[in-house]
Amino acid sequence: MLPVTHLLYLGAIVFAAGLMMVITKRNAIMVLLGIELMLNAANINLVAFNYQHAHNLDGQLFSLFVIIVAVCETAVGLAIVLRVYQEYQRVVPDQIDELKD
Amino acid sequence: MESATLYSPAFETCLVLAFFLPLLSFILSLTIQEQYAWIVSLSAPVLLLISTVSAYYVGIQVWDNDPYHIQYTWFSVSSTTVHIGMLVDNLAALMLIVVTFVSFLVHLYSLGYMAGDSATRRYFAMLGLFTFAMLGIVLSDSVLLIFIFWELVGFSSYMLIGHWQHKPEAAAASRKAFVLNRIGDAGFMVGLMILWANTGTFSLVELASITNISSWNTIASLCLFCGVIGKSAQFPLLTWLPDAMEGPTPVSALIHAATMVAAGVFLLARVDFLFSPEALLVLVIIGITTSVMAALAALVQTDIKKILAYSTISQLGLMVTACGAGAPEVGMMHLFTHAFFKACLFLCAGSVIHVLHRAQHQQHVHFDVQDVRNLGGLRKKLPFTFLATTVSGAALAGIPFFSGFVSKEAIFTALYEWKGDSFSLRWIIFGLAFIVSFLTVLYIVRLIALVFLGQERATQQLSIEEPPIIMRAPMALLAFGSLWFIVSWNPFAFNGWLMPEAEGHSLFLTIFSIAWVASALVASFFLYRNNILITAEFLRQSFYLNYLYERLVGRPVVALAVLTEKADRKWIDGFLHTTAYAQILTAHIFAWFDRAIIDGSVNGTAYTVRLIGSLTRSFQGGKIQFYVFIAVFALIIFLISSLI
Repeated sequence: MLPVTHLLYLGAIVFAAGLMMVITKRNAIMVLLGIELMLNAANINLVAFNYQHAHNLDGQLFSLFVIIVAVCETAVGLAIVLRVYQEYQRVVPDQIDELKD
Repeated sequence: MESATLYSPAFETCLVLAFFLPLLSFILSLTIQEQYAWIVSLSAPVLLLISTVSAYYVGIQVWDNDPYHIQYTWFSVSSTTVHIGMLVDNLAALMLIVVTFVSFLVHLYSLGYMAGDSATRRYFAMLGLFTFAMLGIVLSDSVLLIFIFWELVGFSSYMLIGHWQHKPEAAAASRKAFVLNRIGDAGFMVGLMILWANTGTFSLVELASITNISSWNTIASLCLFCGVIGKSAQFPLLTWLPDAMEGPTPVSALIHAATMVAAGVFLLARVDFLFSPEALLVLVIIGITTSVMAALAALVQTDIKKILAYSTISQLGLMVTACGAGAPEVGMMHLFTHAFFKACLFLCAGSVIHVLHRAQHQQHVHFDVQDVRNLGGLRKKLPFTFLATTVSGAALAGIPFFSGFVSKEAIFTALYEWKGDSFSLRWIIFGLAFIVSFLTVLYIVRLIALVFLGQERATQQLSIEEPPIIMRAPMALLAFGSLWFIVSWNPFAFNGWLMPEAEGHSLFLTIFSIAWVASALVASFFLYRNNILITAEFLRQSFYLNYLYERLVGRPVVALAVLTEKADRKWIDGFLHTTAYAQILTAHIFAWFDRAIIDGSVNGTAYTVRLIGSLTRSFQGGKIQFYVFIAVFALIIFLISSLI
């Protein structure tokens, strides 16, 4: 049986990778991808802790629920990205700064 | 006031005309435009002629009648009322005629003499003011009014003596005349104050009625006499009159005959009731001292006008002596005769100067025409001037059948009676008066001999002709007035029509003085026949009086002025400058404080606020990923700090 810390390491690495993408990528779609990665890192953590208590399925169910919410979120995010692209002909988040002071 | 009803309106009109026409001439001359200056040379003599005729009418009416006295209230302060008014009695009437007549002739003469002068308007204006002021002195009924006009006379004489203001000597002479007169006038003013404090009135009529003579009277009268000393050029203050010869010659004639110096003697006669015996003695001593000094100085002068100036001072001294001897009417009589012959002498001198100047100008020769040593033998070229000079000179010398003889006779008689029977100081003064008379003959014969007799000296090459008729007519009239009949029909007795009440005419004195004058004539002819000329620097400088004043008063005053100027510059200016520097320094400190501290604190606050603002602003650069980064960073810091 795998020790739970290995799974937690994996989750942390995926979360860090997602955060890295969110911060550094110059494409909004890649940023959305980063968010998906971070959500999945959270799912890994949920599943890993559920793995300790096998008679309970709360963690697995909760991660399924997160996957569904992530799909919705991605759909909304992609729709926004499309609208932004139609408006500005670009999707670089740094260059869309009309709301700055 | 009650006697005013005695006189007709015609009389009053004439009085007003005589008094105010010279003033009108003054105003007219000043208001007329420069390009119409010829009107002035027409209007001024005509106005004066009308004034003279009116004055003559007034004089005839008043003569030996009740005095005409009219009085108005000038102003009143609480219970004190000051009046102004006119008082015309015999004395004033006589002076009125003399002043207007001589002034008219001088106006006429000036038309010729001042022809071509650039400032005729100012000249005639000042002549008018001069005459008006003198008439004011003559007609005033109060000492205060006399003082006001007295100052006006001083001012207008200052203007006239300095008429040729571009000449530094003329400017200095007019200044000197003004300053020396002010010294005398200060005394006059103190006298007025003493009079007012003790009697509470300035009116001549009221003053005459105050009988209790006490000690203040002597002081007050001597103070008034100070004014006379200044105005009539008596002993301590006599030096301005010779210097005043820098003015135009007709002005000298006016000053010496009728207006300026006559005012002093007139005042003595006017207020003679104020003088106590002690004051009178001072008058006599000052008068005779002046007379002898000036006669000696006249003997050696080389300037034709200065000879006449010293002669005037000497004659004025005699008049003051006569007033001091208790015979002011005799002094006035001499003033009256002197006005004619001295005016004539001055006009003759002016005529010589005028024609020689003109001749010099035409032939481009230059020498001092006023220096008698350059003149001589002019009797052939200027016969008319020679005749006029001789006639008026004879009157000055006191030769019988001329007016001067009669009035001098009156003075001698007055002194003779005054000296008393027992020998005293008065005898010496009586003797000195005779010596003055002797010296008078000497200097006037010297003047005539040097100018008109003998050989021509510097004037040989000049072609000279007599001055125009407009200048000769006044000379002729005045020479005519130098004859005996203007005083008395009897050429040997002074108590004629002018002064019938004068008594004490002594036959012995008459014969003695004729012999005296004759011997003086012989002596002078002997002197000048043999060309013996007295030259004494001591006398020529008039006893170094000028030098003395310069040393005693001038230099200390200048030294004091330099000292105070230095003190001013060093201490007062230094103090002021230091204060100013201190103030500027303080101001600079305050300015620095303002800029650095107050402005600095405000600006510093603003700067800090802006710094913080821009710092916080920099976090919101519109970069979404940066926001995320910051948030994560902050979270990490938060986690780390919570772990520790």
